[in-house]
Amino acid sequence: MNLMADILINVIIAFLAGSLLLGLHRKVMARVQLRPGPPIVQYLLHSLKFFFKEVSFPKTASMPFYIGITVILAGIWVTGVIVGPVAKGSLMILFGIYAIFKIVEHNSGSSSGSPYGKLSCVRAVFSAAGELPLFAVIGLVFLKTGSMNIADVIAYQSAHGPLIMSIPLAAIMLFALILTKSPYSPFAITKGKDIVSGFETEHYGVLRGYIMFSESIAFYILLWLFLTLFFGPISVVGYVIGMILITIITGVINAITPMLNPNHSVMSQITIAIVCIAGTVLMLVA
Amino acid sequence: MVIESLGGDLFGTIPLGDIVLYLNPLHLFLFVTILLFTVLIAVSRTETQIEALFGSLEENEVKVGKKEFKQRRFLAIICGIATAGAMITGDLFNFTLFMALIGIVNIGIVSAVKQVSVLDSAYQYGLIAMMCGLPLFGGAAIILAATGTLSLFELQTLPLNAMVVFGALMMLVGVAGESGIAPFYASKAEMFRTPGSPFILIIHLSSLFIIVRFVEILLILIPVI
Repeated sequence: MNLMADILINVIIAFLAGSLLLGLHRKVMARVQLRPGPPIVQYLLHSLKFFFKEVSFPKTASMPFYIGITVILAGIWVTGVIVGPVAKGSLMILFGIYAIFKIVEHNSGSSSGSPYGKLSCVRAVFSAAGELPLFAVIGLVFLKTGSMNIADVIAYQSAHGPLIMSIPLAAIMLFALILTKSPYSPFAITKGKDIVSGFETEHYGVLRGYIMFSESIAFYILLWLFLTLFFGPISVVGYVIGMILITIITGVINAITPMLNPNHSVMSQITIAIVCIAGTVLMLVA
Repeated sequence: MVIESLGGDLFGTIPLGDIVLYLNPLHLFLFVTILLFTVLIAVSRTETQIEALFGSLEENEVKVGKKEFKQRRFLAIICGIATAGAMITGDLFNFTLFMALIGIVNIGIVSAVKQVSVLDSAYQYGLIAMMCGLPLFGGAAIILAATGTLSLFELQTLPLNAMVVFGALMMLVGVAGESGIAPFYASKAEMFRTPGSPFILIIHLSSLFIIVRFVEILLILIPVI
């Protein structure tokens, strides 16, 4: 297939699937909390709606940085689709994309001049330690398979079986990251309702549309990465079932768990990472 | 080849004597992104922070003055260029120099702010960064003494060496302190409360990108596979 067509189709799939999964996530949370909840397509409709709404800019915003940061956010997740599902390239680049996502989270908060955004920005700095699990997972997958390229990792699993069987603790770490990035997570301190919507508070109209578009793709890529790294070459049906299952599990966990305070959130993530890294290294040595 | 298994297939190399510059998808992505952010920072003005005053309906506007703005923008651009250099260098010593320069300009970006809490934080970060300069350069020196080269292209072909592992771990301590990541991030967090959103971005961005690049370097120096 033509490369550009391949990229375009994958970006559309990532956006649609990610939006529907986030809608499902919200529905599951609502049902667990004995509420009817919004329809599953609500998140998708919400995202599309923002692209047609009027844009307004805060008088205090840092321009053109305030606008550029949301465009960059959308751009990096399109790059994520290219590196992941399209090219099956280097995991290091995906790690770099998550690093930039953290930066964007940080700076879309601070660029508006809003105190809520600023608090989200400071929390984003603290929670940078929460990216430790992803870094550790990538390192452990490299130790096991000898490559950082996703295509090589898939080939390794074809020959030796899924990595979930040999390094299960690394899978738990990546699942912890999925939980962190899912909406209303106990670790989602940058978007806590105590600071309204955190870094998203002051972005309206098409700028919010870019943010929601990016969040859908980010959630899809994270689930795709988890299934690809730990369950090897699986079919489209396998991906669909896997993504729905993980979304339901995270929805149930988030529905029954209160948000942790920033210090507890960061320390919990680091503790999970350290325990899983030590366990996996011991398993690899043994 | 280790380098190709980490960042993807090589686009090409530029051999400059002992120093071999090389470019792969990972470096290209990091290099282009940091330059994009640097340009965005160079053309942006700062935000105005609005703070509610306790006990009244008044509010306080915190702005960045023109002189301070120019100083911080200059340092932020230097930081962006240094980080871009660190992303594509193929020489370990150049990497340590870029890292040290990033640490210095990061302190400079916040030192221009006239807020006591921010200056305290910059001072604490400065102390950590200065102390970590020793293991950073010391680690590179040990690797040079043990192998006779600082070219990553050469180092990837050498077998596992205890002194190289020791040097790499010293460099890890140095990079962690200079970039202010965990466990040193607490010394840096207060700096982010200051106004000047575009300049603060480069502090965080340079730290995270340096870590991504150093992970690659670490895996080249310690061929555990």
